Amino acid sequence: MVSTRKKILAFAITLAGLLVLFLLAVNTGSLKVTPGELIRGLFVEYNENVAAVYDLRFPRIFIAMFGGGAVAVSGVLLQAVMKNPLADPGIIGISSGASFAAVIITAFFPMLYFVTPLFAFLGGMAACVLVYTLSWKGDLSPLRIILVGVAVNAVFTGLMSAFNSASGSSYSGVASIVNANISMKTWEDFQTLLIYVVIGLGASLFVSGQCNLLALEDKTVRSLGIDVTKSRILVSVIAVMLASIATAIMGPISFLGLIVPHIARLLVGSNHKVLIPYAIVLGAFSLLLADTIGRTIAMPYEISASVIMSVAGGPFFIILLRRSRKGYGQ
Amino acid sequence: MDNDVFKVENLSFAYGRHQVIRDLSLTLSKNRITTIIGANGCGKSTLFHLLTKNLQPERGSIFVNGKNIRDIPLKDFAREAAIVHQYNTAPVDLSVEKLISYGRTPYHTMGISKDSNEDEKKIRWAMEITNTEKYKDKAVSQLSGGQKQRVWIAMALAQDTKILFLDEPTTYLDIRYQLQILRLIRQLNREYKITIIMVLHDINQSLYYSDEIIAMKEGRVLKQGKPETVVTGELIRSVYGVSLNMREVDGKPFVLPV
Repeated sequence: MVSTRKKILAFAITLAGLLVLFLLAVNTGSLKVTPGELIRGLFVEYNENVAAVYDLRFPRIFIAMFGGGAVAVSGVLLQAVMKNPLADPGIIGISSGASFAAVIITAFFPMLYFVTPLFAFLGGMAACVLVYTLSWKGDLSPLRIILVGVAVNAVFTGLMSAFNSASGSSYSGVASIVNANISMKTWEDFQTLLIYVVIGLGASLFVSGQCNLLALEDKTVRSLGIDVTKSRILVSVIAVMLASIATAIMGPISFLGLIVPHIARLLVGSNHKVLIPYAIVLGAFSLLLADTIGRTIAMPYEISASVIMSVAGGPFFIILLRRSRKGYGQ
Repeated sequence: MDNDVFKVENLSFAYGRHQVIRDLSLTLSKNRITTIIGANGCGKSTLFHLLTKNLQPERGSIFVNGKNIRDIPLKDFAREAAIVHQYNTAPVDLSVEKLISYGRTPYHTMGISKDSNEDEKKIRWAMEITNTEKYKDKAVSQLSGGQKQRVWIAMALAQDTKILFLDEPTTYLDIRYQLQILRLIRQLNREYKITIIMVLHDINQSLYYSDEIIAMKEGRVLKQGKPETVVTGELIRSVYGVSLNMREVDGKPFVLPV
């Protein structure tokens, strides 16, 4: 078991790390500003460099942080609901379902851009329902969910690439969703993300007690007076919403929802009342780290955060898969 | 009639086309220990799940204290009856006290306790009577089989119900822990007036610890009544298909399961 002191330490260190990383990310690129200049430039007097950083770098940094938190929590919730440590919105196709819907809107109904998050959510729900129904055989075998999820993911990813190619890759909006590129994001994008993410994360904290109970056997949960099916649906919808909105703005990012919850569980334990808040912080840190690495590693070119996540996440997934016989929460 | 806590009328249930419970009717008495016995696959587990709202009847009805359980919300039912299942899992790092506190869930609204003093009191009582207080900060996963079983019983007791169901509470335990659990069950019944309904595999333990026995065969009640009148050589032949010798010890019948 993880002691309270260790949990507080994990929170403190990760938050401090996030702050340092934030300052580093602000200063990554041709323009440099010191923390002092930054604070003065933001709150006291106009500074040309700070203004440029504010318009160009801040949106992507904030999007990476909030989107990272959202995807990480989505992973935590899916793992609780499916009793499966390998569930990840990227791997099981929820993100690609959401981005496919977002791509269709962006390509065919660009004037409806403001409902893109809603359609992304419907796309994510469609993928989630597909995975559930296709892998249900009296129970939800962890491995079957992953296998079906991989297939669902492949279909949506394929459809998305097809649309991207068929539209001549000319819509930068489409391409940026397909490639999960967050370099050209604006404050408006962040605002859209923020509203849904705040609602989604608030809701996830609200269901943290139910997530704890779902780790027990279904019949045990039922004998405690909880309608397991309703509880599952509620938690799933929140998970899909978080993953979908993040995807609508950033594009699909795999493995983040897998790696972060896993490390978080090692550091703060499996009590969701602690795990979910911590996954928010660690998720923000991880995606910002991936994005910042992607910006620096091959300067002046950029590698997208999702590519960094895939390269780092693939081996991690294999390790987890090999250990998965132990199952969730046993 | 006032003495009946459960009343089952013409109950039928099937898994797909496999009929498990066939037109079964019975009543269960208040403040007693009733044990359901029967061969593997006779439907006793299914009956158990039907009685505890874990499965929905295909036909027929089940009444608890005169109310059809179909019309009782899950949460209200959880305040009337608690269930200890045969097979349980918990996260590796879940502490004993935390798990037992889950037993208070039926008294919470939207995850918030209405009376945390009452919660605290019931959790402490449940730990005391099951003798689990001394390892309340340990992880459930670190405990032995017998200790684990007492913790799961404690969680059910924290639900503060007048009815307690136990599905094969002694399976997988060695004889010392089996007796510990059975004596605890008897104490819960005699001292705290909790109606006990359980499934047991051991015929002798059923005989010794029950006030009433229900023998099931092929989805029906073969015989119900006091242990010494129900369990006879003939019944055992009919239920299990084997001939066993019966002996009398201290005025109670015992079978020699060899």
